[in-house]
Amino acid sequence: MKKQEECVLTDSKTLAYINMYAIFGTLENLCELDENARALLKNKKPISIGFDVKNGPAATLYFKNGYCRLEDGCNPKCTIKLPFSSCEKFNGMIDGTVTPFPSKGLIHLGFLLKSFTPLTDLLTKYLRPDPKDLEDPVFFETSTKLMFYLITVAISQIANRDEIGRFSAHLIPDGDVKMSIKGGPAATIRVRDHHLVTIKRMPEKYRAIMEFESIQLARDLFDGKVNAVACIGQGSIAMGGMINMIDNLNRILDRVALYLA
Amino acid sequence: MASKYYDYTKSNELFKRACQVIPSGLYGHQGPAEGCWIPPTSWPYFTDHAKGSYFWDVDGNKFIDYMCAYGPNVLGYNDPDVDAAAIEQAKKENCVTTPSAKIVELAELMVDTVASADWAFFMKNGNDTTQGAIMCARAYTHRKKIIFVNGFYHGVSMWTQKIDYPGVLPEDVANNLYVDWNDFEALEKLVAENEGEIAAFISTPYLHGNFFDNVLPADGYWQKVRKLCTEKGIVLIVDDVRAGFRLDLAGSDHFYGFEADLICFCKAIANGWNVSALCGKEFLKSSMSALSYTGSYWMSAVPFAAGIACINKLKKLDATKMFREKGLKLTEGLKAAAANNGFNLVVSGEPALFYLRVADDDSLLIHQDWVQEMVHRGIYITSHHNHFLNASLTDEDIARTCEVADDAFKAIRSKY
Repeated sequence: MKKQEECVLTDSKTLAYINMYAIFGTLENLCELDENARALLKNKKPISIGFDVKNGPAATLYFKNGYCRLEDGCNPKCTIKLPFSSCEKFNGMIDGTVTPFPSKGLIHLGFLLKSFTPLTDLLTKYLRPDPKDLEDPVFFETSTKLMFYLITVAISQIANRDEIGRFSAHLIPDGDVKMSIKGGPAATIRVRDHHLVTIKRMPEKYRAIMEFESIQLARDLFDGKVNAVACIGQGSIAMGGMINMIDNLNRILDRVALYLA
Repeated sequence: MASKYYDYTKSNELFKRACQVIPSGLYGHQGPAEGCWIPPTSWPYFTDHAKGSYFWDVDGNKFIDYMCAYGPNVLGYNDPDVDAAAIEQAKKENCVTTPSAKIVELAELMVDTVASADWAFFMKNGNDTTQGAIMCARAYTHRKKIIFVNGFYHGVSMWTQKIDYPGVLPEDVANNLYVDWNDFEALEKLVAENEGEIAAFISTPYLHGNFFDNVLPADGYWQKVRKLCTEKGIVLIVDDVRAGFRLDLAGSDHFYGFEADLICFCKAIANGWNVSALCGKEFLKSSMSALSYTGSYWMSAVPFAAGIACINKLKKLDATKMFREKGLKLTEGLKAAAANNGFNLVVSGEPALFYLRVADDDSLLIHQDWVQEMVHRGIYITSHHNHFLNASLTDEDIARTCEVADDAFKAIRSKY
């Protein structure tokens, strides 16, 4: 059962956007980082799945040569189309409580069952890891990198959709923020007129930076074992530049945990 | 003279211990995260002792301190006159069941000193005074809503925080309205849209928020605000916790030519001894009397004795004139040091509470680098907060500060 606080302070539409762009978006990185993921998609014809959520997000996942790409909007030419009557139904699919039914591409049901579902199961394995799996350094690193991409994308979705996230976003000036793990993945959070977009690569120039000193530190932070304020004080999270950008992103970051709990 | 580059070995060791037993090691504005120590390794975490304009950290490094404990150090650390009054009072009594007569003496002194004050109500922190002011305004008007100026800081009560702060509920800030500083038309519009619902307008005497240049009131702004508040039955609260007694001993409202209904003081009352005060107009006295508002240490006598000595000494020294003169001399010297090295240092706010920004990039990274070089060389300033002057600051301190500023600009010149 969700805690009372979560019931009051999150909304299903924002969660749907997080599920679409942050969760499904991380499939791109999963295919880059894990050869088992690529193996699930290899030797198959290019295929695409369109997700169309009424009063919610729409996007298309493209699979080709073992890799995956998420694009905004449900492409009418998609191979398989999965419509959802509400954000709640779409979120239910992510939770495993709703079974979607294709309105197009029923013939490709085999891909959904034999490739796509195992792929999302593999992603779940990394994003909700068994503590024992994390003892394997390779798994640990892949899992933490995927968490990093998931969280950086979720920040933008919350900033643009969630009522309290929008309040934080309206205090962020324009510019690029670099979020990174030292020696590891980096992302750009681009702010224009208080609208945030996450780009999963390092910015060429930035107005503010927040960098985690190690992948272990990032993991501990994502798992809630350490606090960002304490880490900044100890120097294990380096911040610089326009601190009001970082300060408000940190407030949104707090809400990521609420949505992904 | 070349500046020594400080080492913080003992401070860092102590901070590790602190992290074991204190949330975030050091919290709030005096800690590394909220204090914007960028990077934290350039700042001392803990002090050992202080005197006048200086403090020494636990590694023995001496600093000329332009933060003045974020304001309370107004005469100089351990001022002999204030401390003597406090110690004499401590020998007699401090926190006793029935308050000392010192409370009456300090209240009379506040009323005599602060132009808009008909009464004084004592507490401990600035936050206590803003909280008391809001409660008083609501009790008097029987209205819910409060207007804030964007970029405000009025303490840490839940109503002063923002909807996205941890531990704050939307309901806590549901009656907060926001307007931009110096935008009287927007304020008028907001008042019209909430006719009969606004209990108070609360603001610092000028905008000294963080991360941007401080902004003084536009000509006639406060006078128009005063008139509007009077016409609409809105209590006008001036939060003078930060600027109080540094611009004008009669209050910063007096400095800018208007009268607040309620005015909050804290930092400069007692030179570091722990007391704050809400002063108000006669018509609000009854509402203030009605509040259930008190605290275990609010009537302790020692800070009252210190406050009396401090205010009298500030008057004797004509301290506000001194702060302005020293502030101007210092900031002109800092700007010259920047210009000598090809940088543009922007100084804003009143000279007594000057705010600094190196304006050579749009990210503040150069500014933060210069600030940390200053601290590492013994000049304690902060990246994104206004600074404070105290009466013990000497011309030699100012000259030394400008010399170090030159060194610090030279140190970063090669990087940018």
